[in-house]
Amino acid sequence: MKKPGFWLIYLFLLVAQLLLSTYANFSPYVIVTLLPVMVLCMPIRVITYASLVIAFATGLTVDFLSEGLLGLNALALVPVAFARNATIRLFFGEELFAREEDFSIHRSGFGKVAMAVVFSVAIFLVVYIWADGAGTRPFAFNAIRFAVSLAVSSGLSLLVVNLLAPDSRK
Amino acid sequence: MRSRKVIPRLISLAIFIVLEIASLQLLSRNANLQRLWLSRGAHGFMGTVWGSTQRVQNFFSLSKTNKELSLENAALLKDLMETREALRRAHTDTLGTVLQQEAGFVVIPAEVVKMSRNTQHNYLILNRGYEDGIQEKSGIITRNGVVGMIDAVSAHHAYAFSFQHADISISARLGLEGGTGLLVWDGVGSRGAILKEIPLQYKYNPGDTVYTSGHSLLFPPDIPLGVAGDSRIINGATNEITVTLFQDFSAIRYVSVVHNTAFDEIEEFLP
Repeated sequence: MKKPGFWLIYLFLLVAQLLLSTYANFSPYVIVTLLPVMVLCMPIRVITYASLVIAFATGLTVDFLSEGLLGLNALALVPVAFARNATIRLFFGEELFAREEDFSIHRSGFGKVAMAVVFSVAIFLVVYIWADGAGTRPFAFNAIRFAVSLAVSSGLSLLVVNLLAPDSRK
Repeated sequence: MRSRKVIPRLISLAIFIVLEIASLQLLSRNANLQRLWLSRGAHGFMGTVWGSTQRVQNFFSLSKTNKELSLENAALLKDLMETREALRRAHTDTLGTVLQQEAGFVVIPAEVVKMSRNTQHNYLILNRGYEDGIQEKSGIITRNGVVGMIDAVSAHHAYAFSFQHADISISARLGLEGGTGLLVWDGVGSRGAILKEIPLQYKYNPGDTVYTSGHSLLFPPDIPLGVAGDSRIINGATNEITVTLFQDFSAIRYVSVVHNTAFDEIEEFLP
């Protein structure tokens, strides 16, 4: 089970994302996002309908309160929530659902968590870059943007994943 | 047991689709680039879907199609003979510039696979796309006049605004040497149009032919469009003339897409 503070941390990271979206505009090639890992680490008891709505609201909040296109983060984050259960099954197996246990680095291993995080960030970035470019950007630009953003955002997400998915047996 | 798993998944899928559509709506309302992108995507989708269904319908009306094609062939043959005669005259005429101007247009035949006629913003979908050489900002004509203009192009289909669209106007001239104005659909009939902004000094008689002026980059000059009817004076400055079009929009199937080869070059001069 998640510690009761999960949603407080979620809100804290949402504020952090707002600051990143507003101030961390280093280059057109870099998208810095924590949103996919936030959605991925939601407690496993949160059913898919709820996670979809939470992801949509989260994306819309970031779109609305930071410098961005209204709907862009929401568009990219909802697929992450939709694929969340499948991602957990793919990397951690079915038993987490049977036991209603959340994953953590300690329990599941750093490698599996890292792969799940990278996978979720990749889903987010594919949709985000595709919609943001609106068919006007060359493939090479989008590919470089995807690769750089995946590296940066996944790295940052792995730094905060322990906050969102701590080991409950500690 | 199985249905207990399937139903929640279907509900999740439905919520997912609804939320994604909501996001796309927000995007399209707040960003012009994304709006155009989504609009083109939707037009391409419509073209593909309606093109496929129309092919099935066409299979069952082949005899009718053959008859129409034979009529079209006959009309084209007649046009060819007339063009040859005009070409022969142009070689001996010092003012033979009209043919040279028309030579600046690429002409691609196409078939209308879908069109609307019952709204104020009608459209057409053609069975030719960029793989067939169709480009955006091209005109659509038949031997009876102007039909519309291409707005978006996919690989095998093109989406066009019909002349029967509230936002479409074309530059037209009254007679071969009369005043020019804007020809717009009258918003009611399948052959009704209005020629606006004709200066009062240009005299005309009901029954005079209205032609494309050639001032537009989309259409060649001197395409007969219709016949002038009654007029009324607007603000004491210009004439507004009703026009009965030669083209019956309820009976369009085969069209020609015309693209000005100098379009991009001329566009660079425009602000």
